[in-house]
Amino acid sequence: MNPDRIETISAWLAATDIGLLELRGPGTRLRLRNDGGGLPLRGEPIADASPAAAPGGSVTANAASVGVFLHRHPLRETALAPIGTRVVAGQPLGLLQVGALLLPLCAPRAGTVTGLRVAHGTAVGYGTPLVELAPL
Amino acid sequence: MIEILSASALATVQDLGRVGALQWGVGTSGAMDPLALAAGNLLLGNDANAAAIEVPVFPFQVRFGADLAIALTGADCAARLDDVPLLPWWVVEARVGQVLSLGVPRAAGHWRASRAYLCVAGGVDVPAVLGSRSTQLRGAFGGHEGRALRQGDVLCAAAPGIGRCGSGFGLLPPALAMPLQLDGVPAMRVLPAAEYGHYTEASRAAFWAGEWKITAQSDRYGYRLAGAALEAANPVEMRSHGIVPGVIQVPPGGQPIVQMRDAQPSGGYPKLGTVIEADLWRLGQAPIGSRVRFIEATWDDALDAREQMHAWLADARRLVELHRRQRARSAS
Repeated sequence: MNPDRIETISAWLAATDIGLLELRGPGTRLRLRNDGGGLPLRGEPIADASPAAAPGGSVTANAASVGVFLHRHPLRETALAPIGTRVVAGQPLGLLQVGALLLPLCAPRAGTVTGLRVAHGTAVGYGTPLVELAPL
Repeated sequence: MIEILSASALATVQDLGRVGALQWGVGTSGAMDPLALAAGNLLLGNDANAAAIEVPVFPFQVRFGADLAIALTGADCAARLDDVPLLPWWVVEARVGQVLSLGVPRAAGHWRASRAYLCVAGGVDVPAVLGSRSTQLRGAFGGHEGRALRQGDVLCAAAPGIGRCGSGFGLLPPALAMPLQLDGVPAMRVLPAAEYGHYTEASRAAFWAGEWKITAQSDRYGYRLAGAALEAANPVEMRSHGIVPGVIQVPPGGQPIVQMRDAQPSGGYPKLGTVIEADLWRLGQAPIGSRVRFIEATWDDALDAREQMHAWLADARRLVELHRRQRARSAS
């Protein structure tokens, strides 16, 4: 990406109340943090939506997109994976609602659901840890 | 290939309807919940009008004779693919030999639905007749051999195989996104029709204020409602004339009939009102024995409601396509 573009985008970002901007393209990923400090850019390790290690050896399933975290399907009364449920890798633990779209929040590995990091119905950003899993 | 395992005889192949055929005396047919059918199709990347299976009686089971992407919409029937529970309004990939089972629909708060839609990649591959793949039961053409599905019937999907359209995601049901209730009872907007003025003021008031029970004499042809008897100020005698789905007729007994998707194209009873096109899906999902209310609407209200329905579909399609593209990119 052209560095001039990054400066332009940063200037735009600084004028908003957006905290984090991430742009992805073929072979590139740009992450800009708007902490009110203005330019220059801060280089930092990229935290993505892959499972994050949490204290106590547990892992979290993280939001792969901006959206509203749902622990249960809007038509259902019980959670997809209530606390204490043993799940297999890839099993949906909850949903992310993006407008009319419902995306699954999949277990990054097998384990037991030990807790929610955010409540049902909370608007979350990309990469936000949502559900805690204790590995089996 | 999809083999029907259930003996219940009321499931039919439907698309959005045989629009434009009334001029030949051919009824509209089509899905009782066209919004659910269109949503299931857009989850699969199909044309919104692709044919699907409408299921009004449960349990219902099919076996897949080939790998196939499917979407389930409409009533939440606690569906299972073999032993794996499926989410409602969801797209999944079924494997050859797997059995899909739909149970009795569950209520979700105030929303009770009665019909499920099984949409398949590419749509159910039956020939179009007079521009539609809907089953025309009265004329015995269209759909699968012009009749309801039977145990042992085998249907084909126009785009079998998996891995093409993506799966494992869903849509928020429009009943939740665009709820419409009056005092906790599902409601539909109604335009007063040509003979509205013939009814007594008390009857007109009772029509809007009362709850109407959907009686057991209700099906794809029409819903017979029970409630306060509606009385005309003077007897209304009419010749038969053209009618469309949604028209609310009042036979001499005073208990109204709402014409539904398989309605005949003409009738002679006086017309009190017409359920607006954008709310027919709500009525199409209302189960027998449940109660509904009617809300008086204007022509502009009806157009706004149709606009809102189309906007919901367009937005859902945009989000589904965006998601599908994003997934294809991250997979490559």
